[in-house]
Amino acid sequence: MRARLAGPLLLAPGLIAIVLFATALGALFRLSVLEFIPGSLRTGGVTAANFHAVLSAQYLRAIGDTALLSAATTILTLLASYPVAYALARARSGRVRSLLLGLTLAPFFTGAIVRTYAWMLVLGSSLVSWPVRLLFEPSGVLVGLVHFSMPTMILILAAALAHVDPALERAAASLGARPARVFARVTLPLSMPGVVSASLIVFAWTFSAFATPELLGGGRVKMIANVVKDLALDSFNWPGSAAFAIVALAVTLALVAGLGRLLTPRAS
Amino acid sequence: MTAARATGVAVVVLLLAFLTVPSLVVIVVSFNPTAIMAFPPHGLSLRWYENALTYPQFQRAAVNSLIVTAAATLLALPIGTAAALALVRHRVAAHAVWAAALLSPVVVPGVAAGLGFLILAAGLGLLASRWVLIAVHAILVLPFVIRSVSVSVANLDPALERAAASLGARPSRVFRRVTLPLLRPGLAAAALFAVIVSVNEFVVSLFVSTRVTEILPVAMFTYVVNYTDPTMAALSTFFIAATFVAVFAAERWLGLARVFGLEGHARGGPSR
Amino acid sequence: MSAGKRVVALEGVRKAYGETVAMDGVDLAIDEGELLTLLGPSGCGKTTTLNVIAGFVVPDAGHVRIDGAEVTDRPAWQRGLGVVFQSYALFPHMSVADNVAFGLRERGVGRAEAGDRVREALALVRLQGVADRRPAQLSGGQQQRVALARALVIRPRVLLLDEPLAALDRKLREEMRAELKEIQRAVGTTTVFVTHDQHEALGLSDRVAVMCHGRIEQLGTPEDVYERPATAFVADFVGASSALTARATSGDLVEICGARIAVRLDRMLHTGETVRLLIRPERVALGSAGPNTIPARVSGVMYLGDHSEVRLELVDGTRLLASVRGRAAVSAGERVVAHLPEDAFLETR
Repeated sequence: MRARLAGPLLLAPGLIAIVLFATALGALFRLSVLEFIPGSLRTGGVTAANFHAVLSAQYLRAIGDTALLSAATTILTLLASYPVAYALARARSGRVRSLLLGLTLAPFFTGAIVRTYAWMLVLGSSLVSWPVRLLFEPSGVLVGLVHFSMPTMILILAAALAHVDPALERAAASLGARPARVFARVTLPLSMPGVVSASLIVFAWTFSAFATPELLGGGRVKMIANVVKDLALDSFNWPGSAAFAIVALAVTLALVAGLGRLLTPRAS
Repeated sequence: MTAARATGVAVVVLLLAFLTVPSLVVIVVSFNPTAIMAFPPHGLSLRWYENALTYPQFQRAAVNSLIVTAAATLLALPIGTAAALALVRHRVAAHAVWAAALLSPVVVPGVAAGLGFLILAAGLGLLASRWVLIAVHAILVLPFVIRSVSVSVANLDPALERAAASLGARPSRVFRRVTLPLLRPGLAAAALFAVIVSVNEFVVSLFVSTRVTEILPVAMFTYVVNYTDPTMAALSTFFIAATFVAVFAAERWLGLARVFGLEGHARGGPSR
Repeated sequence: MSAGKRVVALEGVRKAYGETVAMDGVDLAIDEGELLTLLGPSGCGKTTTLNVIAGFVVPDAGHVRIDGAEVTDRPAWQRGLGVVFQSYALFPHMSVADNVAFGLRERGVGRAEAGDRVREALALVRLQGVADRRPAQLSGGQQQRVALARALVIRPRVLLLDEPLAALDRKLREEMRAELKEIQRAVGTTTVFVTHDQHEALGLSDRVAVMCHGRIEQLGTPEDVYERPATAFVADFVGASSALTARATSGDLVEICGARIAVRLDRMLHTGETVRLLIRPERVALGSAGPNTIPARVSGVMYLGDHSEVRLELVDGTRLLASVRGRAAVSAGERVVAHLPEDAFLETR
């Protein structure tokens, strides 16, 4: 039946994109198990040396730092995003909602370089650096990362909150619950799936952050992505860099798989 | 207004300020008359704007960005629309697997994808080619296109296509006269997303471009690493201004709230 | 009316969605010019049946014929039928006129002629002056008329209506019901109507097919289906009824709660057998003692304007529903006597 062919036919061009992408990742995998010959781009035989190097103390510390920074970013972003998301989801006037949405989206779309550069200015300015040194410090990178992640988290949380039926909150109120209780017993629990998925997304994204630590860290804060770039574009150790990139990829995929498992029983 | 609500509003205002202040700082600094970045600045000057606009590498990078983004968007739109229709409407076998695969570029860390494409391109001897960059961008914006169009497809009442069929329209006519016109909001949003994502794409492009083919964000990155004058502030102000305009215009015309799933209960659903 | 040419024939049609069987061997023949209703509760398969006739759903087994020709595998756009959807499915991006003209444009009808026919169709459904509006600007009732006009203007072989009145409020529904019947009579198109509302079914149809669990329980005229239900399901779904358990004391006498009741069924009973009987509330009369009466207590009265529902309880707790015109002369708690006419009983399993 012609109708039955329609689906696969429509997916065919997408298949090409998938194949290209998979091939690139395949090249990455392949290179990560080849020997690095210092000083050249040629590679030797198959070896696990690259992954051994990844697990050395210096690199493990980078992985650990990355995880810590990502966790801190996620928590702070969550705390900062929830109120804005709540306001956005519950905005009664279309104009207020447009304004909130616009302000949330605008930094999102100005791009990593611009946003990071903006923070370089703010953190490096005399106003800010006099009380506390933030530029080129992990704390400065943290501020930049939180700022980077907020729009995403606000949008996801707002969507989750918008799907919490306001009638449920009204029902709780009619049964005698104060606003704080309504929030704690009805709104927050019902928004949990959104909280969890947003947190995992922000964590995964921050784990692979590059521009923010590169520019705001001034060479002193190295997250996994920075190490990958250093190895690849500065030391030309492509195999080592590939191994490291795969570690980042593996962690991210594990997180996403975990997210998928968490969300599957609950159909959206 | 109760004290609780007032505090809530104040908190939200502060947080929004946190989101917006950096952009404002950039704009102010861009008018700084001296090369030393001082905030607050000591006067007003347009020299950095002039510098930004005449810097050859920026000019070349801007042209590259235009070409790459336009080409990538034109590629991704039909591919993404077809995929969205297949996934949402036609219930292809192993649908979840296809969806995951098509949306995976978002999930994969930029450095991993960038390095992978670099290795692949180098292996094929295509490093100097602009087409690598275009293909990479198309793949990277595809998930966003699919997601935007999927929302529109999901909102499209299947009864409308059945009605058209019952009135004698063959499938291609149904697509042209009913489906496509009704998908227009989703397609417009998809194009907007694609352009915004592609224009700002940095990490993967850093790995895959050369000095000749590099796009604007990469050129900007190189500049910031090497120079500390406010030229970057001027260029950034252009970006910020353009983005603000685009976002507010899109919200007005397309209703971005629906695209982001912010229309929950009792908020104007499909009209009967 | 029926007994004419057979326009649509379904033979042994089966359709299942995974574990759920929507159509379980449906045989149906629809005659020229008749209005046949598929009646049943949600999930009984009536909409699937309509979709199979329309060509939106391909059956797993069986045949669909239109005018004798096998169309089981023919796609919807080649069947030349008119469909009115429950949600109306008006194209939101086109004006009313363009909506109605859609089928004509697909058939290559020229603009001038299409314009005339559109005007004609809108006049037929009594909707003038809205040709240039968008569907979103119309009320539910108006949208429904546009959907009808759109389906009729192409002069379809068969008109299929999928619960078209379901979304309208009661008053509008009753008005449209009458209009639909008039229009169908005037145009004479063979029509299949799907509904779960038995009043609609009884009032509109030449014949009714009562469906349950993917099968047709009974196919007959409205009187057949109401007065002579073939199964307990039909008796219960079409109109209300009370179920009574009786023990036969002779060929045509039973005992219900100690009372002697004469019954006239289509068979003779065997002495001593237990039989389940159904009786419609409007046949139960409240009044004085006499033959075929049974004592009962009034457990509740509901006044509904043109009639009242009197809920009765027999000595052994069995519930009996009576319907009287206007206001009931009894009130809750009273002991009364219910008269059950001997020809009012239906046997059920």
